[in-house]
Amino acid sequence: MNMSNKNLLIDVGSTYFKLCAPATNGSKTHLEQHFRNFNKSIFNDLMHKCGPTIDQFSKQNVYVCSSANGGLSTLIIGLTHTFSLKYATNIAFNSGINIIDTILYQDIGEASVPSDLIDVVIIVGGISSKAGAFNDDLYQYLHGVNYSNVVYVGNQHDAAQVQQQLPEVVVLPNIIDDRLHIVEEDLKAYLTSLYQQDIMGKEDIKDLYDITSNQIYSTPYIVNQTLPLIDASFSVVNPFILLDIGGATTDIHYSKDLVDENIVTENEFDRLVFKKLGVYKSRESLVFAAKGNEFVGELLMHLNVTEHIFEQHNDKATRILMQLAIFLVLCKMSHYRQSYINLKLLAINSIVLTGGITKVLSQSEVEDIIGFFYTKILTSSHRPVTIMDTDYAIWTLGSQSQQPTQTER
Amino acid sequence: MKVVTGVVGNDIHVVANRLIDLSLKARGYEVFNLGVNTYLEEFFDAVVETGADILLISSLNGEAEGWGREVKALKAEYKGLDDLIMMIGGNLTVGTGSADDIVPKYKNYGFDLVCHQIDLNTGLDMLADFIQQQPAKSTAL
Repeated sequence: MNMSNKNLLIDVGSTYFKLCAPATNGSKTHLEQHFRNFNKSIFNDLMHKCGPTIDQFSKQNVYVCSSANGGLSTLIIGLTHTFSLKYATNIAFNSGINIIDTILYQDIGEASVPSDLIDVVIIVGGISSKAGAFNDDLYQYLHGVNYSNVVYVGNQHDAAQVQQQLPEVVVLPNIIDDRLHIVEEDLKAYLTSLYQQDIMGKEDIKDLYDITSNQIYSTPYIVNQTLPLIDASFSVVNPFILLDIGGATTDIHYSKDLVDENIVTENEFDRLVFKKLGVYKSRESLVFAAKGNEFVGELLMHLNVTEHIFEQHNDKATRILMQLAIFLVLCKMSHYRQSYINLKLLAINSIVLTGGITKVLSQSEVEDIIGFFYTKILTSSHRPVTIMDTDYAIWTLGSQSQQPTQTER
Repeated sequence: MKVVTGVVGNDIHVVANRLIDLSLKARGYEVFNLGVNTYLEEFFDAVVETGADILLISSLNGEAEGWGREVKALKAEYKGLDDLIMMIGGNLTVGTGSADDIVPKYKNYGFDLVCHQIDLNTGLDMLADFIQQQPAKSTAL
């Protein structure tokens, strides 16, 4: 879809605002990036910093996406790690959800009850011919949980009983078919819609409708729209991963070719999120993760710094933290650390970096870290091509691809 | 009855896997075939998700010998699998070995039925006999 030359694109992140406006002269677009003032509302801060730019555009020409609302907190209760929990987690990540906790149903008796409000509880388990997967343990546990929504996507035999015990439950088709394959459409549509409602309901975000008459989307959704189009703007060679290392979380979008898992879907790309891995709001947990990684000492030595850098708050410390973030994310996705999913990192041809990190680190600094990772962790001389999205072309491309949807508020 | 089957470990003997699948179906079982290159946890997880009565693991390259040692401990982590019929078949050792040595070893690993280098139909006859000897259950073929 062609982007009109009249459109202004705004991305509200957890740490920065980004604006992309058509150039008034010449062919290059005009980009602005501003550090957020957390003592002000998003709207006031945005208008204070970018008011003159925004005022030049009519409401129908302003498109906003946001990841600043924190996303939905999700609790998944499932029968097994390999099927129900993995499938539901995969669907939730692909729906733009960042915060996911899981409980293996057989351990629910010993599971701690979350103290915070859970936006959505997902109950899943069993192929449709299985019956009696859930019993009173589930309802007793949920009785103690403070949640806003609950959705059941498990075997159809138990649906009636779940509905009887939890009258507010939304029952959707089973996400596990009779061949133990994933069925994602219904739950994905439900979660995406819930996320959208959440964005639109947040007070801070609501105010932004004063400057746009278009629907405000979540940033991960926008980036996800870009992936099939990415080689139009970049010389990306498949398979690739896209790292969006932000202030609060790190998003990874990856080609399906990189997983050797039992998840078989029609999507070409999946998304994975490492919560509390960011360079600003999640700085402390990033440092904590770094201190727990036995290779980080060697990496710091490689970068000619010591652990004292973690106590500093200057540009150099930020650069080091960003380099550490790249290293830790690659570690988390590799077989060196067993996690929800491990990628075949030796098969990657391109690593695309987007987000604020591309404004701070140079290409050679990024390549240095990637080289260190492949040498030390994977003991390989493989070097994927590094591509830096320095002008936010990925986000811009995604924003353009969702236009001109008008808000359905 | 429901059967979860597949080839354990880094073993890609897909033809044998397909033959087991077809033979089980021909005998009236409801089959959940996890295919080749399957890890132990996936087998047990599939049993939980499907409510299977039988787990039939096959191994053609002999790798099962390594994996088999972990079966008992892993199964113990699952609640409610006490009645699961555990069967393993194929070529169950690397190199040569006699059934007299191999069968007791795998039974000790936690398998009810062990078929080392036995014809598929003979192995499935053994399974049918074993089921018949079990106390009556509500499920039927």
